[in-house]
Amino acid sequence: MSTPAGFDEVIHPATRLSVVALLAATEWADFAFVRDSLSLSDSALSKQLHTLEGAGYLEIQKEGGGRNRRTKVRLTDRGRTAFEGHVAALRAIVDSAGPATGAAQQQPRTEAGR
Amino acid sequence: MGQPEAQYRQTSDLPARKAKSNFPDRKVIGDGDGREMAVSMPVDAEQAWKDLQRIRVPQERVYDEFERSVSGGRRMTYGTAALMWVFLAGVGMDLPQWGLGVFVTAYVGLLSLLIVMSSRRSRMQLHHTRCPGRMWAAFGAAGVLVGGTIVLADHLTEPLEPIYAGLIQATAAVAVYLLSLRPANRWAADSVRSSGEPAADEGAGR
Repeated sequence: MSTPAGFDEVIHPATRLSVVALLAATEWADFAFVRDSLSLSDSALSKQLHTLEGAGYLEIQKEGGGRNRRTKVRLTDRGRTAFEGHVAALRAIVDSAGPATGAAQQQPRTEAGR
Repeated sequence: MGQPEAQYRQTSDLPARKAKSNFPDRKVIGDGDGREMAVSMPVDAEQAWKDLQRIRVPQERVYDEFERSVSGGRRMTYGTAALMWVFLAGVGMDLPQWGLGVFVTAYVGLLSLLIVMSSRRSRMQLHHTRCPGRMWAAFGAAGVLVGGTIVLADHLTEPLEPIYAGLIQATAAVAVYLLSLRPANRWAADSVRSSGEPAADEGAGR
């Protein structure tokens, strides 16, 4: 079995996949919103965000100061393209398995690639 | 992406695949989030499908937040309604040109301020590709409804004194605005959430 084109090993780990999937539906999201939505700790999310930022998949922007300080996270075009490619690769893997994974095929295929 | 093929194995919930893990020479790399990455085999269909399902959950959170933000902002709703009432009532009072200019400038300025304050409070912004045509249609229809009410009220209150006509127009327009806003917001939020369903249907039908 070969890995389809577009399969992205940076995005694939579960937490990073969830982070990128959430950000793909947004123009930007607050750090706290991502953390709360994915039930992650500050440090766990921060670690994943920095990995993705290092790959050029997202931008982290800090605004304001003191109590009003907030961190906005935005998926870059490169990150969005990588996510769409990764979702397409996952779909290709599922499709290539054919009726053998019938249970999988019966389930909603999500809007993930949108 | 030009990298070695890899299989990710979630150690917690795939016992069957654990049993099959007979690759003594593979290199296992921990990635710190409960998975191992074994460089040797591609991801299998079952895991790929689970990953596709996993993507849905965070995106549902985004739609929940969008729904909450469009329907839950009472302060914003009543703030814009009050501003609209004051503006329409003022414009209906046959003001001189300069007075009308001041009124319009003040209205636009305060409305912008409310919008900026609301956007500062928001925790995320929906991506533009997730805003379906139905959402814009809902807001457009609400605008047409309010505009139509103003025109109709203007026509019906023509025989009255300008000050009373202005008050009636403003009250009618704001009432229609408040009545149409919630259904329009709900319809818009539903359309954002359901915009992914054609893909789901396509998958289910396979």
